[in-house]
Amino acid sequence: MTRLVLASLGVIALWPAASAQTPAILDHDPLARLEAALTADPDNLRAGNDYRIAIVRAAQYDRALAFFAALVAGHPGAANAHMNYAFAYVDKIPAAGAITRVILANNALNEFSRALELRPTWLGYYARGNSYLFWPRIFNRTRLGIADLEEAMRVQRADQKHAYHVRTFIALGDGYWKVSEVVKAKAMWREGLKEFPGNAPLRARLAATGKQLAAIIGETYDPERRVDTNLDELWTK
Amino acid sequence: MRCGPWGREFDRTRRLWSASAVAGALLSLTAAGPARATGPWFADVTHRAGVDRPHHNRQFDNQYASIMAGYTALGASASVADYDGDGFEDIFVTDSSRDGRNHLYRNNGDFTFTDVAEQAGVAAGNDAANASADSLWLDYDNDGRPDLLLVRFGHNRLFHNIGDGRFADVTKEAGLDRYANAIGAIAFDYDRDGFVDLFVGCYFSAVDIFNPGTPRFFPNSFEKADNGGGVLAFHNNRHGGFDEVTDRIGLRTSGWTLDLGHGDANNDGYDDLYVAADFGTDRFFVNNGNGTFTDRTAAAIGIDTKKGMNAEWGDFDNDGLLDIFVTNITDEYMREGNFLWRNNGDLTFTDVAREMGAYDTGWGWGARFFDYDNDGWLDLYVTNGWVSAGPESYVPDIFQLIVRPGVDLADVRNWPPMGGKSLSGFEKKKLLHNLGGHAFVDEAARHGVASTDDGRGVAVADFDNDGRLDLFVANVNGAPRLYRNVMPTGRHWATFVLEGTGGNRGAVGAQVRATAAGRTYLRFVDGGNGFAAQSSARIHFGLGAATRIDRLEVRWPSGGRETFTVPVVDRTMRLVEGRGAPLPFAPHTTSPRAAGR
Repeated sequence: MTRLVLASLGVIALWPAASAQTPAILDHDPLARLEAALTADPDNLRAGNDYRIAIVRAAQYDRALAFFAALVAGHPGAANAHMNYAFAYVDKIPAAGAITRVILANNALNEFSRALELRPTWLGYYARGNSYLFWPRIFNRTRLGIADLEEAMRVQRADQKHAYHVRTFIALGDGYWKVSEVVKAKAMWREGLKEFPGNAPLRARLAATGKQLAAIIGETYDPERRVDTNLDELWTK
Repeated sequence: MRCGPWGREFDRTRRLWSASAVAGALLSLTAAGPARATGPWFADVTHRAGVDRPHHNRQFDNQYASIMAGYTALGASASVADYDGDGFEDIFVTDSSRDGRNHLYRNNGDFTFTDVAEQAGVAAGNDAANASADSLWLDYDNDGRPDLLLVRFGHNRLFHNIGDGRFADVTKEAGLDRYANAIGAIAFDYDRDGFVDLFVGCYFSAVDIFNPGTPRFFPNSFEKADNGGGVLAFHNNRHGGFDEVTDRIGLRTSGWTLDLGHGDANNDGYDDLYVAADFGTDRFFVNNGNGTFTDRTAAAIGIDTKKGMNAEWGDFDNDGLLDIFVTNITDEYMREGNFLWRNNGDLTFTDVAREMGAYDTGWGWGARFFDYDNDGWLDLYVTNGWVSAGPESYVPDIFQLIVRPGVDLADVRNWPPMGGKSLSGFEKKKLLHNLGGHAFVDEAARHGVASTDDGRGVAVADFDNDGRLDLFVANVNGAPRLYRNVMPTGRHWATFVLEGTGGNRGAVGAQVRATAAGRTYLRFVDGGNGFAAQSSARIHFGLGAATRIDRLEVRWPSGGRETFTVPVVDRTMRLVEGRGAPLPFAPHTTSPRAAGR
């Protein structure tokens, strides 16, 4: 399954060591321990990521949503709390019905936007831009996604190269393809392949045409498939 | 030499066999046509057949009318039965407008029909307080004549078939005169007492939607609504009436029922019940065999959040177990996917819609299993499309409602009017050809049945008794479609008209297993399965290249099993419980045009 790897230049620097405090009562509930760590440090992206990974494993999506709702209410300026809140909505999508998916996806967009308002980052632009691409054309959100992804591209071009930057090439090309700008899409994928030789998703897109290409992109943005929102790649050398 | 009454019947039978054999051969000859081999296998004969009167939606006349209009584009239905016993299947078709007249299309025997609803006394189905939604043929008194239940938003009506082409309204005497927003009904003998019982699916709760005293009568959730009309179950008291037994037999539900389908999932002789619900969870009830049902939804099919529209049973993979096909909503903006529940044989089912190619049929409505090409595998015809109107889409409007925090969905005033917008409109119908039980492929365009009407009900019957199954499709706010099957002949078939003597006379619930060329096919008599439609109760087997049926076993609704020796194929025959041998089937017609066939 394709990993949705989301990175942030500024965010990584903000990542402090997690709290070592583990009261005995929390030992029986690993999720509670992670919640305690986050409560003590709401803007901690990695702690929030660890918590969400545990939540997905336990399929306790509503617990995470309730927790993050309280967290951002108490700490409205914590941009990464909003980011994790957004991802918590995304995490629940495959477990929800078709209508609830729409609500969850919309709520995720709102939280991504709030995080961007507080702290514009590559992560925020990429995540929100990529999310827009999941929306059916009738909602006219693909162009919004392209704009975000172009901004993410601008940010990453000004930065040192990271492995996860390949994601922007893929997604931005997909966005162009979705609005029928096939030439731009292929150019973007080609540029990405030049930057990241051998990247399988880019090679697949460039090798495919017509229905085959539509199937690849359709599968990528299938709302029934779980999107891996694990951000571990941010911290991988 | 046989003597006595059996001997006389034997002789009469032989004479009729000879006559029908000639007729069958003539039909085969006249229907054969190599020129048609590469053309469409269905011909739209709606206008020529005289069944083209359009359906009209109900326009409400209350303060919520503009909103309700978009959500009540329903009521186009078609139900098939040979009400006059002439051997040709007739069609009852509903309208829903306030002054709309329902139609009883009497089959003239030559693929033309005459609307005799007025003379028959069944035309008046709509008024200020009632809107026709569906209909059901059922022989509730076992007199051998199909009676007619008119299913309505309002008060249902039961018409007793008097037998001279006329019907008498017996609703009150039958104990069925009550308000319900009924949208579908089926009849089967759940307790095997020899009389069919009645199951009515209700969409809205029992609020008078023509003059609602509250605005809170819309679904309270898109996925888990529990304020719908549920199911009403009526036990046939054998004296011309029905007693409501919903709670007593364990069928109390509160979903937004759109369709009911029955079938014997575990072959124990007692039919089980599938309830397809809009805005939430479909229900699967197991018949306990003691006059009660148990809700086994979670174990059998799981708890879904989809928009179940149709519950159709059939053994699509010929494994001897009845499977279930349920339409849901599948469009760019909402990809629920249909259910094709493959029967695991242990009262659980596995959804194989995606791998079988039956997942996406748009905004699905009625669907029916039938073997249109007589190859022995059940195909599917699926209608679809919600509202086909203007170029603007209603999706963004409904999206605004969906994402409004804390919105009270039950309050109709919160729902945006649809106006002239479209929602999943202009969708092409699907004719899913069964490839040996391994996959379905859409052949609708190839065979001329891919209309873009807003379809609702699908009724299948062999209207000209030629061994090729025809289609009648009811569309809302428009004319229906009658498709005559003109497939080149060659493949063999056999059709059986069943009559129970130990159980209900219409043999509803009977299972018939035919073995031919080493393969056994299961078909059954259903009591009105399919959304907004009722197909023929006759049992049809496509036999492919097989020229004989090696074994034919009937499991009657009484529980008795009987094996028949079938002398010929490519013929319609009667099977009467206890007779041991098929009887000839001899349709007769009074149509001058048909006489010259």
